[in-house]
Amino acid sequence: MSRPYYESWIAPLLFVLALCSLTTQVRAADQPLAELEEQAIKAAVERVAPSVVRIETVGGLERVGELLVGTGPTTGLVVDSEGYIISSAFNFAQKPDSILVTLPSGKRQAAQLVSTDRSRLLVLLKVEADEPLTPAEPAPQSEVRVGQWAIAVGRTFEAERPNASVGIISAKDRIWSKSLQTDAKISPNNYGGPLVDIRGRVLGVLVPMSPQETEEVAGVEWYDSGIGFAVPLETVLRNLPRMKEGKDLYTGLLGVSFKASDLNAKVAEIAVAAPTGPAFKAGFRKGDRIVEVAGQAVERHAQLKHAMGPLYAGENVRVVALRGDERIDREVTLAEKIDPYVTPFLGILPMRPVGKAEEADAKGIAIRYVYPDSPAAKAGLQAGDRVQSIAGTKVTTPALLREQLQPLTPGESVAIEALRGDQTLLVNAELTTLPESVPGELPPAYDSAALAVAEVAKPATGLVPIKLPEFENACQALVPDDFRADVPHGLVIWLHAPGGSKDEELVALWKPLCEKYDFILLAPKSADATRWQPTELGFVRRAADAVAKTYSIDPTRIAVHGHQAGATMAYLFGVTNIDLVRAVAAVDAPLPRLSQLPQPDPVNRQAFYTTLATKSEQSAAVEAGIERLRALKYPVVVQEVGEQARYLTAEELDGLMRWLDSLDRI
Amino acid sequence: MNLAAIQRLLALSLLAFAAVEARAASVAEVIDTTQPKMVKIYGAGGFNRLEAYQSGFLISAEGHIATAWSYVLDTDYITVTLNDGRRFEAKLLGADPRLELAVLKIEATELPFFDLNAAATADSGTRVLAFSNLFGVATGDEPASVQHGVVAVKTQLDARRGVFETPYRGSVYVLDAMTNNPGAAGGALINQRGELVAMLGKELRSAQNNIWLNYALPIEELRGSVSQILEGKFRPTDEQPKLKPDEAIDLAALGLVLVPDVLERTPPYVDLVRGGSAAAMAGLRPDDLIVFVGENLVHSCQGFRDELAHIERNSPLKLVLMRGQELVEVEVPAAEGDRP
Repeated sequence: MSRPYYESWIAPLLFVLALCSLTTQVRAADQPLAELEEQAIKAAVERVAPSVVRIETVGGLERVGELLVGTGPTTGLVVDSEGYIISSAFNFAQKPDSILVTLPSGKRQAAQLVSTDRSRLLVLLKVEADEPLTPAEPAPQSEVRVGQWAIAVGRTFEAERPNASVGIISAKDRIWSKSLQTDAKISPNNYGGPLVDIRGRVLGVLVPMSPQETEEVAGVEWYDSGIGFAVPLETVLRNLPRMKEGKDLYTGLLGVSFKASDLNAKVAEIAVAAPTGPAFKAGFRKGDRIVEVAGQAVERHAQLKHAMGPLYAGENVRVVALRGDERIDREVTLAEKIDPYVTPFLGILPMRPVGKAEEADAKGIAIRYVYPDSPAAKAGLQAGDRVQSIAGTKVTTPALLREQLQPLTPGESVAIEALRGDQTLLVNAELTTLPESVPGELPPAYDSAALAVAEVAKPATGLVPIKLPEFENACQALVPDDFRADVPHGLVIWLHAPGGSKDEELVALWKPLCEKYDFILLAPKSADATRWQPTELGFVRRAADAVAKTYSIDPTRIAVHGHQAGATMAYLFGVTNIDLVRAVAAVDAPLPRLSQLPQPDPVNRQAFYTTLATKSEQSAAVEAGIERLRALKYPVVVQEVGEQARYLTAEELDGLMRWLDSLDRI
Repeated sequence: MNLAAIQRLLALSLLAFAAVEARAASVAEVIDTTQPKMVKIYGAGGFNRLEAYQSGFLISAEGHIATAWSYVLDTDYITVTLNDGRRFEAKLLGADPRLELAVLKIEATELPFFDLNAAATADSGTRVLAFSNLFGVATGDEPASVQHGVVAVKTQLDARRGVFETPYRGSVYVLDAMTNNPGAAGGALINQRGELVAMLGKELRSAQNNIWLNYALPIEELRGSVSQILEGKFRPTDEQPKLKPDEAIDLAALGLVLVPDVLERTPPYVDLVRGGSAAAMAGLRPDDLIVFVGENLVHSCQGFRDELAHIERNSPLKLVLMRGQELVEVEVPAAEGDRP
């Protein structure tokens, strides 16, 4: 906006001048402006004061998260004459047993918590008042200008007098278009109170907020800092009827995610449309490009967040996306939460095609192995059968079969057509969840006849140095001598424990395993042999990319495996490279305390393997990590290693490799 | 908009700009006349993150200085630096620990000063300027730091027991500027006319909501003690304000049993009322929730016991109860007998 800055001052100034001539009968020019402003500020506070009530609470938690919750009085704002009062959810985060509101007459009255707005972090209270209440008058949002006076009002120090802080409107449409920003001092002393303009009209309701976090205590660390937020009263009043019905309001979710985490990046294709989410149900799919939400053109990520920010769960929103040249224009009912995605499991391992994996096999997908007691076993499928179609759709590669199953949920039944010799089988399988155990001995994954035919050029094998000139770290890959480019191998990224690893030992231990299970071992080394640095994650990724460029790697069987600090790195590498890593195998280290774990992704599946010692110092932390992963519905294999922590035995390591060999399970 | 209206608007905005200019000039003038009255005080401290400096202001032409009573003054070597950079040894004339007030004297004459008798009052919304040497930013002849803000509210620090850890029991101006920082105590708060309003207090955190409070002590609260100190009549009392009675009311005396106190903040619900007891006579019933003792809100069983500990045994007790969703006020008669 190219409006000169002083224009935002004119309206209040005019008002000040008018006020002066009305109330004091003194000509404006005779009195210093600063004093007139002061009078106007006081008059504005005076005007809103009857709508500002003091709230006290009894009982409740002492702490919310790590924050010690106060017990002092807080503030509320009367929003209608029937006794409805809006306040900040922060004031009730401790879940008090009783709420008391002091009415303008000084009488205290018990209040009920009617509902909570979890998107804008407000609560609605109701008191049975036997005296008239004065609802606050909203300031029209369309008139709000950055730079205009903004006065924050609370009623926490004195029941009889409100407390005020003076500033300006710093910004509009903050926190994803949910709130105004002000430099008046906002703190528990006025959370729940109004932010008023110079005329005493209410601009918004003061709440702590943070652009990243969404809990009711988020943003409290900015108290009194000159960074404060207020939810426009007009918005509050618009949602009041729903809140009066006792319905909690939630942020509206589409249930789609994108690869880019950069908010300035162009909105890319939908990377994941959760089958449990409303966008998927409305017909949007992975690969669609969203171009419009709620009538607003969307080009960048931040714009999408701004368009979505003000919307609540249960609201309908028009979403327009492009699929190639096709324009998909749908009404989506936003969801309150998206259930975590659970990968459905049929219970088979497919034979791996020799040569290019994408090459369709017209004869269907040969079954390498059927998991005992799995849906496939119960349906009567056997190793050697060829899957032809699923739910009526023809499938020719394991990837296509996986894609067809992707939107289904465990518990659903699916029709499968298979060939056994010349005989067609029609079976129904009730899908289940991925197993959390190491499979027994597995039959070969390749047709020996197919292997015999092909003869292809062989890249370097054995212990091959991987050179990355821009990093000081050393790195090697152990490639089985029988490696051939037409047989895609799995990849194990081995992150050593502090102290590094010796080449001879590495080869002795891993060479037979790599040959047996068709894996390449990538062994990057930390720059400082005694420890890994989180900054080295980038180097590990580059090394993995380099290997994948030279050797044919099966993308369904890429795992990162680490011991102790290397295992911590393995977790970090896994959750930050979900596009690459399909499994994390951690020995003797708990899941690190990441503030946010990615949700299970239907496309980029991940599974976890961890050891658990019953009496190690880390046991509790390891168990907590397992619980956290399982709560998100990730499959976790737990290998018990006895009382004390240790690395895997030869037998256990063979089991781990078997499990990694089965990662292309369907 | 017609031409006349535009002209009117133009005239008004010109007027407004003139006024803005005027304000800028007046704030600058007010600051210019205030700075020579400010002093920097140096004394004990400088270890354990205790600053060895604070702020003060002149209250007489002969070098009397008002400042905050603190450990900084707990030394024989107090030095004062005037706004013009002149340094003086200062003498501690007297202090009133209850007000956290001290008066110093330096040997100088013809100094600019604040007349305490001409001090002004303020209320919520009054624009103020705070002068102090917060964080010791200024040294020598550098002027004190100036902050602007408004008085948020005038309130009593002692309105709630145990909320603020300070011996001061009087009214304060709560400010919306971040004034109370290390070294700022003893600074001056003035209004936009340049009139002295209050003295900046120390750093104080509310035990109620865990946030820092910026406050200043109104001059009218300090005036009496200052003049007594100046006249040499001030007798510091060692007597601390009596916080607890020798014999307080307790639950047994009331005939009241609360629910088992098992949580961090167990709400004070009545479990049992003994027959014939004071509580029974007042009409308390099981399942009543005690929410107020007198004017004080209680949050927990422990909070209730703490409140009772402040009440003399032979006095009646006012309680507000929550019975269902109804607030009920009762008066418990003075419990008799039962004395050890």
